[in-house]
Amino acid sequence: MRINQWKRSNVITAYLFLTPAILGLLFYTFLPLLGVMGISLTEWSGLEPPTFIGLENYLNLFTTDCYFQKSVVATLYFALGAVITGLIYSFSMALLLNRNIPGRGIWRSVFFLPYIVPIIGSSIIWSWMYEANFGVINYLLNLLGWDKIQWLQDEKFAMPSIIMIMVWMSGNLIVIFLAGLQGVPKTYLEAVEVDGGNFWHKFRHITLPLMSPIIFYNFLMSLIANLQGFVPAYALTKGGPSDSTLLMVYLIYREGFMRNNFGHASALSVLFFLFIAVLTGFIFATSRLWTFYESEVR
Amino acid sequence: MRVTKTFYDWVCIVLITIIASLVIFPFFWMVRSSLMSNLEINQYPPVLFPNNWQFDNYPYTLSVFPFGKYLINTLIITIPSVAGVLLTSTLAAYCFARLEFPLKKFWFTLVIGSMLMPGAVTIIPIFIAWSSIGLSNSYIPLIVPAYLGGGGFNIFLIRQFLMTIPRELDEAAYMDGAGHLRILFHILLPLIKPVLITVGLFTFILYWNDVMGPLIYISRNEMNTISQALANFRSGFGTDWRAIMAASTMSIIPSVILYFIGQKYFVEGIVLSGLK
Repeated sequence: MRINQWKRSNVITAYLFLTPAILGLLFYTFLPLLGVMGISLTEWSGLEPPTFIGLENYLNLFTTDCYFQKSVVATLYFALGAVITGLIYSFSMALLLNRNIPGRGIWRSVFFLPYIVPIIGSSIIWSWMYEANFGVINYLLNLLGWDKIQWLQDEKFAMPSIIMIMVWMSGNLIVIFLAGLQGVPKTYLEAVEVDGGNFWHKFRHITLPLMSPIIFYNFLMSLIANLQGFVPAYALTKGGPSDSTLLMVYLIYREGFMRNNFGHASALSVLFFLFIAVLTGFIFATSRLWTFYESEVR
Repeated sequence: MRVTKTFYDWVCIVLITIIASLVIFPFFWMVRSSLMSNLEINQYPPVLFPNNWQFDNYPYTLSVFPFGKYLINTLIITIPSVAGVLLTSTLAAYCFARLEFPLKKFWFTLVIGSMLMPGAVTIIPIFIAWSSIGLSNSYIPLIVPAYLGGGGFNIFLIRQFLMTIPRELDEAAYMDGAGHLRILFHILLPLIKPVLITVGLFTFILYWNDVMGPLIYISRNEMNTISQALANFRSGFGTDWRAIMAASTMSIIPSVILYFIGQKYFVEGIVLSGLK
């Protein structure tokens, strides 16, 4: 009797408590998704009513619009560059910090700090350091006998320059890796030592396989975040020079909100959505191949 | 037991010190530049410390960059948003952790799956909807999303934390006649405080640092957030580097203070999110 009452109140409470989340799914995911698909079939500046033009926006994107293709290349370059360099940097730092080091907490805080400060602020500091004539980075290059580099104005260097900022900001990954490394059983590592294995053996056969789920998690999360990169392009390069840093989210922003081409920008958004969906689907499908879960062996 | 340091430990310490100095260097360079005259900033070769410290750069910058106003604007968006995220994500997390109801799996998958959805995809229709009801130049579009579920990631984190708390507690309270609201807010809430602080801090940082939202919705200068105002200041004041650096320093200080106060929770939260 009382149990039944409890069950009924469970259902009512659940839907009551979930109402905000369900409204969010409806108004911030599903309806906008339908909306963006609808708008992508129109030509619309936001002032007069939209005109239906079918798939013309998509056709243009694949034929006459040179920006779209450039932005795909730039987005992939940026995301993969930032993720791979960021993972290598943060994993190495975590390995270093995982040793017998005094003041580990303080070091960890230092590496983590860039992750939480406003990215506009960081972008401004970096743009000042990258400055070609008076910037400190070119000064150091000069000291070492190299020529000055137009970091943010040179097609070749603009992308590596903004990737560098993303790597600097990836202190969150260090913290996750460090926590994971502390979970690697010492006994396994000692066993390798007893068998005469060196640092590389321990790393390759114990640390790396045991850490692979965490590496996968960090890879996926930072890939999704960096594919949506916007601020570096907005604050530092405006997509240039010669569209070399034209990140896709920046392009959507530019077309939609600076040029008021809502139809065109919506078509870009739809393609961006498919692009991310396919990519994450592919990564999940192949994740079994390259991550190792301890429980599978036991 | 004290382990003696090997040669490799010393190599590590040296490496870490060098890299940590490089990581902290941009902050040092910003503060140092904010205390120089423009002449000295543009001096080549650059000097490490100002020859005479220009502390009046800050009053000067405040006269052209009303930081206090931007700070209040940012707080007006951030504080209600943090409250909304905490409230609605705790409610949803409680459902998924404790209640049995039809379609539970379905909703859970949708809510968590929506976390992978890139926000940029839907900004255009959402912006058009807000402007069609005349609210596009206000803080409302920036705050409302926080009250609509609070994000799949936060719901997941709080749910994971709730699952570690024994159900017997709820059952005992229920036997004493407590309803769901009472169980959640009087019994469970104090126990999940750590995860709530973590979620609150990360949400705060997320909204505090948001660039895209204010950029799209807020056009009037007196309504700008710190990040937005800083970006505009940078493009408007071109080469007045001492003011730009002072403004950047001021903009970064609140985050740094918050970070050092809540450090423990930041680190725990990051670890929790990565290892669960």
